[in-house]
Amino acid sequence: MSLPYVPRLICLLLASFFLVNVTVGLAVNWLAPRAIRWAIGARPAIAARVLLAMRLLPAVAALAVVVLFCVPSYLWFEPEATEDVGLICLIAAVAGAACWAGSALRGMSAMRRAKQYSRRFECAGHEICVGDENVWVMDEAGGLLALAGIVRPRMVASREVLRELSPEQLEAALLHERAHRISRDNLKRLLLLVAPGVLPLSKRPAGLSALERAWARFTEWAADDRAVEGDQTRSVALASALVRVARMNGSNPGSHALVTSLIADGEDLEARVDRLLRAEPSSVHPESGGPAIAAWMLAGCVAVVAILPGALEIAHGVLERLVR
Amino acid sequence: MNLSNGGRQPNLGPLEGSVMAILWEHGESNVHQVAERLERPLAYTTVMTTLDRLYKKGLLDRRKFERAFIYSPRTSRAEFEQQAAADVVVGYLARPHPAGEVLISSLVDVVGQLDEALLDELERKIQEKRKELEQRRRS
Repeated sequence: MSLPYVPRLICLLLASFFLVNVTVGLAVNWLAPRAIRWAIGARPAIAARVLLAMRLLPAVAALAVVVLFCVPSYLWFEPEATEDVGLICLIAAVAGAACWAGSALRGMSAMRRAKQYSRRFECAGHEICVGDENVWVMDEAGGLLALAGIVRPRMVASREVLRELSPEQLEAALLHERAHRISRDNLKRLLLLVAPGVLPLSKRPAGLSALERAWARFTEWAADDRAVEGDQTRSVALASALVRVARMNGSNPGSHALVTSLIADGEDLEARVDRLLRAEPSSVHPESGGPAIAAWMLAGCVAVVAILPGALEIAHGVLERLVR
Repeated sequence: MNLSNGGRQPNLGPLEGSVMAILWEHGESNVHQVAERLERPLAYTTVMTTLDRLYKKGLLDRRKFERAFIYSPRTSRAEFEQQAAADVVVGYLARPHPAGEVLISSLVDVVGQLDEALLDELERKIQEKRKELEQRRRS
């Protein structure tokens, strides 16, 4: 099939994205059980960060290859003419486009639901100040205590939760939600949701799904740790808040992808309470900038390699093979 | 799930359950490692016999490494539990005139009771911890 310059570029970029995403995705899927085993022994905040990075790695690596290698090499070396594009390249490009379309649809749908949810509590609820935290109060019954929203996440609580929890329990529970807000966990949920799987229109492979579940679990543990900061009295208060809210049942929005609720899906409740009761007094280590610095250094190295004409020439050679 | 006993899930005793839980959590382990991770100390031979029994039931794989067997679970915990639940449901539905709605309402009741029991147990642990902290504060 003959395509002019720009459509051929788009076709090549989509195909390259798809192939790199599949390759790195399969590697991550294979490594996932080992990573999760390692994470069990690591600090929850670190474990959550590493697992998130692993889950996002296929899409990030694919984007990096496209932006740093494919686009410059094509613009630099490819003559402006209409040329043929092979069937394999076309199929890969269609699969790449399907990956992007799936991600966009999932992202838009989740954001629409998040917006609807925010509108619901803005219409039906009212904002009050609890301690130094603004909380939207809903009149509905049930154990609702959650952080809703992506850009400006807000706390939502049912009147029953505010009435039934003691001041210590409520303080610990709000600190837990604040920890989620500081870590931007709802934004990370959105990233996980839009991150493509290995193949478009198919279920995510078991390894990638396991990474997402493990991330959700360690995120809760990390928020617990940050909320109690090694204070045993607060640990017990948070543990009893978890049990109390779990007893209320009701409108727990745990299944809502972009809402972080206090007891999440409830599956991990026993492990969380046990952890909190076992907690030894210790302070939570401040967030280190190590991974961010390493990521910037890596990005710098890739950029340096990318601007080398030799690397671009190799990239162009690979693209030439792909296009035929 | 392709178990050597034709896909049927064998019942597990308490020790077998603990051993399976260790292998699900830690993955491949030898007898010594499993014995170390058990909550109560048990003789090496007891753990070895249990692992061998689980292997013969088709729940574990094993390979030889330096004159010792290394065991690993053949299925994930989720698959195992799914199969166990499916066996219960299939067993009930195989009876003459099974009533699906009775099965569902019973399941809902049992799950509710288990949830309540779990929350009671957690509440008890919290009370104990609270007492312990108060005693520590006084002393």
